[in-house]
Amino acid sequence: MKLTTEQLRSALIKAAEQIEQHKDELTDLDREIGDGDHGINMSRGFQAVQKTLEEHGEYEDLGALSKEVGMTLIKTVGGASGPLYGTAFVKFAGAFKGKTEVEGAALADAFHEATEGIKSRGKSEFGQKTMVDIWTPFQEALSQEGDLKAAIDQALADTKARIATKGRASYFGEATEGVQDPGSLSSALLLGEIAEVLHG
Amino acid sequence: MVNLVLVSHSEKLAAGLKELLAEMAPDTPVLVAAGLEDGSIGTDATRIEETLNTLDDDGVVLTDIGSATMNTELALELYSGERTVRFIDAPLVEGAFLAAVLSGQSKSVDEIEDGLKKEFSK
Repeated sequence: MKLTTEQLRSALIKAAEQIEQHKDELTDLDREIGDGDHGINMSRGFQAVQKTLEEHGEYEDLGALSKEVGMTLIKTVGGASGPLYGTAFVKFAGAFKGKTEVEGAALADAFHEATEGIKSRGKSEFGQKTMVDIWTPFQEALSQEGDLKAAIDQALADTKARIATKGRASYFGEATEGVQDPGSLSSALLLGEIAEVLHG
Repeated sequence: MVNLVLVSHSEKLAAGLKELLAEMAPDTPVLVAAGLEDGSIGTDATRIEETLNTLDDDGVVLTDIGSATMNTELALELYSGERTVRFIDAPLVEGAFLAAVLSGQSKSVDEIEDGLKKEFSK
């Protein structure tokens, strides 16, 4: 599996469209087990990303693209998702620096670093019903060159069944069981588009 | 004098706290990085970083919940100024009171951090 600069740019534009289409669903889920702003925040952030990427056109490498996306998300998303998604892309920027395409172990390592960045920023671990529950299995499937889309679907089902123990949703306790975590869903939408370009 | 930076989701909450602190420690500089640019509820790493750039001495940062802390840590990573600025994990209201009083006694960032840790790690 190989990721080129143009592939990542196009995957992110498609992810922005996906998030826009699921904006209300993300907000409704967040209203149930959070503060009800996830769809609005993600929409604002990814609309800004889409605009930036479309106006900029081709990027010189994956690092420059990731850095611009990370800073845009930090500036525009707000909430907890801004620093979390922003950190993921800032980590990508470091791992992808100067590279126009990445594959194999280097690609898996970059996703590993991004996932670790999210965990460290949110002080969270796998299994707490957060976006980490999607990023971790995705990155594991990537390192084994496995079926990324199947990994995302399975991860979404698994995290839905869990009880939240991290973030604002944890205040809702057992009421979170069987309700999809909005951050997991938005992560699945984003990583799903990346899986799409990787599987080709 | 160590500056106190209040990071809150709500501009009103931070402004109210600042008012309270002025009674206890009128000389301590208190900066507010609260809410989003349009006045709505939230925290924003770039707004926090902009506030850090206006410090007139070293600073300590206190936050309310969840993403306020994440955005603060991110802002501290982005901050490229010369001051020593530290996030202290303590309850916002009580922590700010103690920090403001300690700063008013000309304590350093380290001493303020020690004081708050002692008080709130029980």
